[in-house]
This record gives sequence, C-alpha cells and structure tokens, in this order.
Amino acid sequence: MEKGFEIKDLITVGVFTALYFAVTFIVACLGFIPIFMAVMPLIGPIFAGIPLMLYFTKIKHFGMVLITSVIIAVLMFIMGHPYPIFIFCIGAGLITELVLRAGKYESIKHCIVGSVTFSLWLLGMVIAFFFGFREAYFASLADGYGQEYVEQMMSYTPAWMFYAMILMCLVGGGIGGLLGAKVLKKHFRKAGMV
Amino acid sequence: MIEFSNVNFEYRTTKADGTNDDIIGVKNINLRIRDGEFVVLTGGSGCGKTTLVRLINGLIPHFYTGKLTGEVMVEGMHVKDTPIYELSEHVGSVFQNPKTQFFNVNTTDEMAFAAENQRRDPEHIVKLIETTAGFLNVRKLLDRNIFELSGGEKQIVACAGIAVLSPSVVVLDEPSSNLDHDAITRLGKILKKWKDEGKTIVVAEHRLFYLKDLADRMLLFRNGEIEHEYDSREISTLTLDDTERLGIRPLSLLEVPCKQKEKDAFIDYLRLENFDFSYKDKKHSIHISDLSVPSDCVTAIIGHNGAGKSTLARNICGLEKHCRGTMEYHGRRMKYKDRLHSCYMIMQDVNHQLFTESVGDEVMLSMTDKTIDEDEKEKRAHAILRELDLDIFFETHPMALSGGQKQRTAIASGIASSKPILIFDEPTSGLDLYHMKQVASEILKLKELGKTVLIITHDYEFILQCCDYVLEIEDGQVRDSYPLDDHTIDKLRRFIMPKVKGEGNV
Amino acid sequence: MGLKFDPRTKLMLMITIGLIMMSGKLTGPEYILRLVCTAIPFILLLSIKSFKSAILYAILLSGTVFCEGFIVPYTNGVMNLIVMTICGVISRFGPGYLMGWYFVSSTSVSEFITAMKKMHFPDVVTIPMSVMFRYFPTLKEEYLSIHDAMKMREIGQGVKNPFQYVEYVLVPIMMSTVQIANDLSAASLTKGLGVNNGRTHICRISMKAYDWLLILAMVSMLVIFYAF
Repeated sequence: MEKGFEIKDLITVGVFTALYFAVTFIVACLGFIPIFMAVMPLIGPIFAGIPLMLYFTKIKHFGMVLITSVIIAVLMFIMGHPYPIFIFCIGAGLITELVLRAGKYESIKHCIVGSVTFSLWLLGMVIAFFFGFREAYFASLADGYGQEYVEQMMSYTPAWMFYAMILMCLVGGGIGGLLGAKVLKKHFRKAGMV
Repeated sequence: MIEFSNVNFEYRTTKADGTNDDIIGVKNINLRIRDGEFVVLTGGSGCGKTTLVRLINGLIPHFYTGKLTGEVMVEGMHVKDTPIYELSEHVGSVFQNPKTQFFNVNTTDEMAFAAENQRRDPEHIVKLIETTAGFLNVRKLLDRNIFELSGGEKQIVACAGIAVLSPSVVVLDEPSSNLDHDAITRLGKILKKWKDEGKTIVVAEHRLFYLKDLADRMLLFRNGEIEHEYDSREISTLTLDDTERLGIRPLSLLEVPCKQKEKDAFIDYLRLENFDFSYKDKKHSIHISDLSVPSDCVTAIIGHNGAGKSTLARNICGLEKHCRGTMEYHGRRMKYKDRLHSCYMIMQDVNHQLFTESVGDEVMLSMTDKTIDEDEKEKRAHAILRELDLDIFFETHPMALSGGQKQRTAIASGIASSKPILIFDEPTSGLDLYHMKQVASEILKLKELGKTVLIITHDYEFILQCCDYVLEIEDGQVRDSYPLDDHTIDKLRRFIMPKVKGEGNV
Repeated sequence: MGLKFDPRTKLMLMITIGLIMMSGKLTGPEYILRLVCTAIPFILLLSIKSFKSAILYAILLSGTVFCEGFIVPYTNGVMNLIVMTICGVISRFGPGYLMGWYFVSSTSVSEFITAMKKMHFPDVVTIPMSVMFRYFPTLKEEYLSIHDAMKMREIGQGVKNPFQYVEYVLVPIMMSTVQIANDLSAASLTKGLGVNNGRTHICRISMKAYDWLLILAMVSMLVIFYAF
C-alpha cells in the first residue's frame, strides 16, 4: 500500500466519509419503522451512493476508501454494533479499492461497480442483528416446543434471508452508483467541478 | 524579511471541457518587505493581491499548482523548496472565510492547533493560551464550541491561534470580509498589537478604513502587477476622489457623502404588529409590538451581532411557523404562510439557494404560477436575464458562474417569482468597490420595479449608495428607525463608528 | 459519581458487553453476566447525569422482560414472531447501543482522537476522523440553510418525488463539501498540519486506578464467560 497521502487527501476522506455516513445514518433512522427495516440494505445504498460517486472521482490513489471503511467501522462500533462490523467494513473497503485501482482511477464505470461493492459493509450491521434475534427466538422456542422443531426452523430461515440481504446491498449499491453518475453528469461535469 | 525577485505566477485550471486554462496570478513582482513592516495590498477583484499572500505562506506552489518563475524568499527560506510545514513556523495566515478555516470544534483546541503542529511542549502551550487570552482579551472565548460563535469571534479565535504560535510574519487575506464594524475594530487592535511586537504584517484587503493608520506602505495591484506604491505619508493624503478613481474603497468612512436627498412623505407602509418569536434555545428572539417601514423604498436593517436581524428577516419571510403576530402589506394582513408567498430572500451564501443545472431553469423554477405555459416561461426568463446581463449564461450551470453572477441569478429568480418583497442578507460581503456599486445599482433597479427591498448589511458605503431608510435592531427590538438623508446620516455614523478614535481593550 | 473514565476503558467496556450480550445464553452463569452487562449502561448513564436516557432505557428493558414473561406465552404464529423479535433485539442489543450512547455523550472529540493516537492508530486514520467530527455540525448548518431556501422558493414540499427532493438537497451540499475540503486543506496546511510529522496534544488522558480496576473486572467477566 503506497502511503502517498497528502493533507488534501486526508481532508477529502474526512469530509466525504462524514457526508456518506450522515446520509446512511439518516436513511437508517427511517428504518426504525419496522416495514422499512427489512429494505434498509436496499434503500440506504441508493441514496448514499450519490455522494459516494462524487467521492470516488476525487480519489486518485490507493488507500482512501480503505480509510473510510475503517472509520465507518469504528463509528459503528462506538455506536454499539458488535465486532463483525470491522470484518465487513474492511472487507468491502478492500474489494472496492481493488475495483477502483483496476479502473486506474479514471473510469466512471469502475466507480459504479465500486458503489456496488462498498455497500456490502451494511451486511456487518445486519448480520449481528440476525444472529442475535435468531438465538433469542430459538432459545425460548426450545423451552416451549422442543429441540427438534427448533432445529427445523434454524435450518429453514437464515439462508434465503441472508442471500436476500446480500442481493439488496448489491442492487442498492448499483442503483446508487447509477444515480450518482447521473447527478455527476448533470451537475458537476456541467459546472466544471469534476 | 520577505523578498520577491522577478516573480511571475499563472494558475493552471482545468475547464469543463477538459482543456487547461492558465490564469495570470501575478506578473513582474520585485518587492522587498523589511522586518516589522506593515504592508497593505489592495486593488479590484482578481488583481493579484491574494496570489501574493499565497506566495508568502507557501500555498503557492505547494497547494495551488501552476507556473512559477522567479524567487520568493521568506525569513531566509526559499519558499519553492521549503515545505509548508516548515514555513508555517514563521508565517501565520488568516483567511477570508471564518467558517471554513478552523480544524477543531473547540476554541481552545483550535488556538493550540498551530503550536501543537510545531511540536511545542503541551504545558507550555497551555500557559501560552492563558497569557494570550489575557493579552487579547478573549477569555470569554475559551473552551467554547466554535459553531456557536459569530463570524467576528471566529476570526478573533483564528488570530489568537496565531498569537499562541507567535510567528514573525503574519499574512491576512481579506480578513474583514464577513465582519461587522465592532469585529473590524477588534481586528484592527490585534493588528496594532502585532505591529508593536515587531511582526511583519501583510494584509490583502478591500475595506481599508481600519488599516489607514497602521500601514507603512500600500501597494495597489492591477492585472497582477504592482501599479503604484504609497508610503504612509501619501496614504494619509489620499482623498475620496483619489480612491474612487483608483477603484478602491474609501480610506475614511466619514468622508463618504450621502446620496439620498430629503424625501417627501412615504406613501405606503409595511407594518409589523405584535411580532414575537423566539428560538427553542431561547438565545435569539424578537419582540416588536408595532413597526412601520416604507414599502416603496430600500430599507437597511442594521444591528450588532446577535441583535436579531437574521431572526427578523426569517420571520418576515415566513420561515418560522411559531411566529406570532401579523404583517400588514398592501392592504392585506398576513400570517406566516402568506408571508412565504410574498417574500423572497437572497441569502448570504447564494450556493444554498441555487438548485438546477442551468441559469434559465433556475429562473423558471421560481415561476410557480401554473397558468403560464413553458414557452411563456422561457420568454419571460430571457427578458429578466437580459435586464441583468445574464442572458448569455442561459444554458450555463449556476455553479460555474462567479460569485457576483450567482448573486444576480438569485436576484433574477427573485424577480421571476413575482414576489413583492425582497430581502437581502449581507449582499456585499467581500466585494470590492466596483462590484459593490454594481449590487447597489441592481437594488435600485428593483426599487424601480416597485419591489419592497430590505437589506441586512453592515456595509456603510453600500448603505449610502442605495438605501432610503434605516432600521436599527438591538436585542430583538427596534431601537430606531428613520429615513436616511443629510440630517440623519449622523445617527448612522454614530452606530457604525461609536468611538472615532478607539482606545482601551480589544 | 461522574468519574472520568479514559476512552480506552470505555472501549474495553463496549467490547466486553458486546461480546457477552451477543452470544450469551439465557441460563447459568452466562445469564448472570448478561444481567450485569445490562445494568452497567444504566449506572454509567446515571453517573453522567443523563437521567432521561437512563430512565428510558430502564423502561424499555422492563417492558421487554414483561413481554417475554407475560405476553409471549399467550400469542402464536406471526404475532409471536414479531413480539419475540422486538424483545430479543432490545434485550440483546439494547445494552450495546446504550453503551454507545454513553460513549458519545461522555467523550469529547479531542479526547477520542488522543485516545486513538495512544492506541497507535496512524495519522491517516486520526486526521480524517478529526475532520469528520468537525464537518458534521457544518453539514447540519448547510442542510438547515438549504431547507430554508427550498421552503422560501416553494419547491420540494410534500413527498411527491423523493428523488427530486434528495437532488435539491444533496447537490448543493455535495458542491459545498468539495469547496470546504479545499478551503480547509489550505488553512490546515498553513497551520502546519502534516502527515506523520508528529504532533503534541494539549488534551490529557491517562489511565487511572479506577480505569485499571474496571478493565480487570471486564477481563474476569470474559474469562468466566468463555470458561463456562
């Protein structure tokens, strides 16, 4: 990893991470309404993808997205999400770095793909939730209905829901990326800021 | 000592279509600034004074890229070859915008910042902050949330941060742009203290009146070159006509004449009744039981920081639901919802109110009358933009325009909205003489169109250019209101310059 | 009380509580540990005088216990699932989130950054983090101003088209973000900010006796947790 970081880069990381996080957080808060909670992995990246795309166009070398993912992981952690968040954030960050590097930091298409891969960090938020209530539910079920029934339920539920979440993140990230690209073209390119 | 030898600089920018554009920053600069000298750089917008400041603190060439020839030496260091980190130990910088130059949220942290970066001993820094706070009289500003401070207080904190580090050179780039007269007076006192300490000071400025007695030399820039040099004796003999001719703001405010003649009685009024509002944190509030302001002229709203001018403007505009009281205008009584339909505000930061991708769209966005069809909208938009010399920019993205052009776009949108009341919030911050006069003439055009214009401002020269009436606000109440003419100008002067020769604490 | 714990101690607390709450069973010594973990945020919140949050937390938790004990046995099917889920989520993740709330309320930005530096996080992470915290309030100010402008221009009102609303709000904010990144970089550079140049800090944080005591307590809890 080259560490050719200048202050301008670090400040760019800081402000865009703040913006990205703020948008994601606000959308997530709407997700407290139970109906929305399930589709949050889809809606979040759609909106957060827009500033994310602008951020990607400001990135010219390796490492900035990774720092963003580390910062998001730390933030999420101090907000109470358990440790799997680190794995998912850094993982998503690394994959996105590789995607951006493959595009030599000049290709919009790669940025859109980057938006897709970056949104995978949300799984870290969701997964703990998942394990959590699964345990609680089944633990109490075992008291009432017996171990066999529980095992049947356990084998049944997680798989498809988990895959559905992954799909939502990817699709949401893709839509967000496309929307972001559209906004960039409509406004930023026209204003000469890209 | 600061030395420029045959310095030329061109900014390299990339345009929207990808091609490069070289904009001249400065040309043929040969200059020597002695230790302890106080130099003022002035001239119209884009004249090169900011570029010169950046050449001293190292932002050129280490941050702003372009073509640099010649040699710049500061305190024995070659700026080209010295990293900014090292330069900053000797050169402190204060920037134009108080809102975007601070790194920390806490004022004490911000004051320590520059010294921390130079790896000074923490205990020493803490002691220095204490002494500086006493010296500059800023104890009340310690350990506060920067976001709660006014623009002037933020600028003072920035200066305090430099005082803690105490470099031998201080450069300032239009530091008074967003400040009211109280803050400017405080700034002037800090500059005097620094001058007395023997620091070398270079200030790029439009508003010169507070520097007149401090400057050892004044350099007038035009098109990137130093057109003329004035020493302190010559500065004191410059008259108002001279500065007008040179295109710079007056050196002495008392000389500025009042353009308004005595008026006949005003015909129509805008009346506020039982206007009461207060924010949740109870910090700012307004209580106006009865106020009448003439509706067929331009009114300046003046007041110190925190007096309630913005609160008042927002409430007149109808932006606050919880405002009690009514406004009577053109025979109608209006509550907040009606006022929203009658008022248009040109904000201090115009970027916050431009939403579309072309100037034309921006103007048409304001035409909320559903009975007009698209073609008619476009025709009217063209007409309005022609009046403001913006028609060539019809297809241009608003963000690609200059600050002044953006402001005119916002004005055009205001005219297009057909709302009769227009409110301006500090429209001349940071403007040089030419552009300030341009804004004044636009305002007068609006008056001719029959609009009621209210302007929040602390720009004395601007008020004298285009305002007919003055409304003074203090602590959320009306302290005074009067038509502006040769007789009442003293009242205005007394507000702007309470102590002609200020002595005492900052 | 109001003891000033070192941010690192608080982080240790959060890790411990998070681990125990996430996978703790409902019986045996683990259950007791879970109870302890559930009580800790409550006590800490009281210690920083966050009475409203502490009481809200207590109400929520008692509500879940009530539901689990009395309502659940009387419901079946979908209703059962929903109630169980909500109760499960609150009782399992509540303490963690409340610890997060406590952390954020009791730690200042400079304390947090200094702690990160002491934990050897590199400049490339701590500088952006400082900038981020400094930028959040600015974002709020910008949003409020843009919201005013939209109201005044009578656009974007009503939820007709959420994407249009988002465009109106996000585009000016994004443009301003680019501008601020520029201004802030220039200003910070002139104040001597550099990457890996070494900086001193006037903010002092240090591990005191009660910090170490608490950490010892946490470690023992974890040992018990994993041993049984």
